[in-house]
Amino acid sequence: MKMATIRVTLAVAGLMTAAVIGRSQVSYNRILKAAEEPQNWLTYSGDYKSWRYSKLEQINTSNAGNLALQWAFQSADLGQFETTPLEIDGVLYGTGQDNRAFALDARTGRAIWRYQRRLPDKVQACCGMVNRGFAALGEHLFMATLDGHVMSLDMQTGNVIWDVEAADYRQAYVFTVAPLLVKDKIIVGIAGGEYGVRGFIDAYYADSGKRAWRFYTVPGPGEPGHETWAGDSWKTGGAPAWITGSYDPELNLIYWPTGNPSPSNNGLERGGDNLYSNSMLALDADTGKLKWHYQFTPHDLHDYDSTQIPVLLDAPWQGQPRKLLVQANRNGFLYVLDRTNGKFLSAKPFFTRLNWAKEIGSDGRPVVVPGSEPTLEGTRTCPGALGATNWFSPSYSPETGLLYVAAAEECDVFTNAPQKYHEGHDFMGSVYVPATGEKTWGALRAFDPFTGEKKWEFKYFTPPNGGSLSTAGGVVFAGDSDGNFLALDARTGKDLWHIQIGAAVYSSPMTYALDGRQYVVIPAGGTLFAFALP
Amino acid sequence: MMRVGYVYFAACALTWTTQALGQEKEIQNPLAGDQSAIKEGSSLFRANCSPCHGLNAGGGGRGPDLRAGLWVHGASDAAIFRTISQGVPGTEMPANPFEDSEVWALVAYLRSVSAGTKTPVAGDSAQGERLFFGKAGCAQCHMVKGRGGRLGPDLTRVGAARSVEYLTESIREPDKELSLAMSDPNNHYGIPAEYDTVTAVTKEGERVIGVAKNEDAFSLQLLGQDDKLHLFLKKDLRDVIHERRSLMPAYTESRLSNQELQHLLAYLSRQRGE
Repeated sequence: MKMATIRVTLAVAGLMTAAVIGRSQVSYNRILKAAEEPQNWLTYSGDYKSWRYSKLEQINTSNAGNLALQWAFQSADLGQFETTPLEIDGVLYGTGQDNRAFALDARTGRAIWRYQRRLPDKVQACCGMVNRGFAALGEHLFMATLDGHVMSLDMQTGNVIWDVEAADYRQAYVFTVAPLLVKDKIIVGIAGGEYGVRGFIDAYYADSGKRAWRFYTVPGPGEPGHETWAGDSWKTGGAPAWITGSYDPELNLIYWPTGNPSPSNNGLERGGDNLYSNSMLALDADTGKLKWHYQFTPHDLHDYDSTQIPVLLDAPWQGQPRKLLVQANRNGFLYVLDRTNGKFLSAKPFFTRLNWAKEIGSDGRPVVVPGSEPTLEGTRTCPGALGATNWFSPSYSPETGLLYVAAAEECDVFTNAPQKYHEGHDFMGSVYVPATGEKTWGALRAFDPFTGEKKWEFKYFTPPNGGSLSTAGGVVFAGDSDGNFLALDARTGKDLWHIQIGAAVYSSPMTYALDGRQYVVIPAGGTLFAFALP
Repeated sequence: MMRVGYVYFAACALTWTTQALGQEKEIQNPLAGDQSAIKEGSSLFRANCSPCHGLNAGGGGRGPDLRAGLWVHGASDAAIFRTISQGVPGTEMPANPFEDSEVWALVAYLRSVSAGTKTPVAGDSAQGERLFFGKAGCAQCHMVKGRGGRLGPDLTRVGAARSVEYLTESIREPDKELSLAMSDPNNHYGIPAEYDTVTAVTKEGERVIGVAKNEDAFSLQLLGQDDKLHLFLKKDLRDVIHERRSLMPAYTESRLSNQELQHLLAYLSRQRGE
């Protein structure tokens, strides 16, 4: 009897300390004010401005050196684990490679459910069978899959609520993007720029999966911009849209960047500017109508996708308060645009050996260096095809006023050659190789986003594939391609703490708090790691 | 029973192999010599094969020279078709999801740049082996089938992977193109390490020279000329110098005569890991 009594007592005590998770309700209003509840992480970039910044300050510059592993979660597949998990009221929701997804107890890392949408054969994903994460609304999660589907899952079970086909994966239409939830719709953009797809951005009603609108990033006959494609080249023009955009609720505009024209290295058969490849698009969130566009790299020949996160800042520009959009672009320039109308304001190089363009002219067009185009035998061009930076997230800290950008220092030799289009096959018009005899490297760089002035850099031994997170604790977290996860001083770049986690980091960190403890999470290889103070 | 079963299996395998070989001999490239197919094959090769086999099929860090006429996995059209489409188990050559016409275009292109049948090197392989393990000193740093040193690349399969021209250049001018070393399978876009000469300078001023097996922002794993592994933390070092040259001396004619070179090449070109 006595034993039984003790057991009952313990059980009651256990119940009292257990986290009881009710049915979460992620309203649009919560996502609008995501920055005000830093204990959660409600959308891919942390908030609609895409700052990837958290007001959490428990981990700070004086104690970051004590960070310790709290748990690790093994997803299944080694390689490029690109997810940014969401954290909602004590549960982490993430996606893995090969159409996997999972929900974890955010205190222990123990799985609550696992889901995998079985992959068909011959899915063509240029750069790994990856996925970058979920969006959430109400009690549901939203995922876009490698085989061209968009789906809604139940938060507590992983059960499929709805599942729609957006495009045919056999034609190499794949999704890798984390969707963006805006009001009652989820926004997704397609990938496939290496396979001659016709890019698009879609919106689906979150409750039904019914498509609300589609914006083709390559205009069809009769549409403005169609004239920027020679002949029928628009049909296989690429301009994919595979990174999550930002949103300004006051203007009701979604800012969504696009990728390279296809074939990426050979422009001979696609004369013209090739709109809206390598552009920033401002779309009406309700209708998908184009409000404005700005093209960073017209008629691109170097795979300079502009699929980098647009960071929204409200700040004075030449004395006047302005709504600005800042983007560190793969082509090596750090841009400032007016996000109300797309007006070009400035572009400063952030890559040391940039040689494809002299500058960005006052009209916003690059002044291209003659002879920088790919040839049959190859032309050495900087930045290389993977860019001065890439899709992984920058972060912006309002305390330091600095933009943190993971940058790669690599020049490539670009070749070109005509190539026939075969549906569902790669369509790049040749290839690039790293310039022989040149050591490549990388860095996390801190910039004044408005002047482009570099305040500090922390050198990586190899070019990075992981982004950064900044916090009110004055810390910037980042991962390098040599398997290091780091905490740096946001003001100076000083290494406060680092740990070897065993595989190249292909993601950007996120943070949340639970039971009064701040956690920082980073995926690498096939594993999600959570760190906190002891 | 076991024995009978084994014999039955072996007999079936033999029959299958004979049939397969017979069929392969019969299948010829329908696009052989077709100029537009060669052009398409060239484009396909650049986009898909050149990262390992080099821009013009002359060999890269991971893939053999395909112009040398070696055809280690079969020299017939059908065998090359199979190598491209199915890959080679046990090697880094993957299967490739090309359409048949694309594979034939690639075969047509490879035939157009290949030297045809390989002519054996004139030198004496036995004398080459003596040079390798003796006077030339190659085995101080290179290993063949478990014999030899550790500092340079293992050469057990070098005859299957590299042309005689490449080997000649590597011997006469080793600094011209550094050999590639370990690559990280989890870093899709990573560039492999190189056999570069690295000098680590300690805080006390001691210089340790060797080859970096691996390195990152915080540490260096160096195989020294002293044949020892030196596992450094960079915070303990004053400097890490990447010299961008091979540790191997250039074997000029004064060090290795043309005739000796031919013997050495005869030996190396026969090293196919068999």
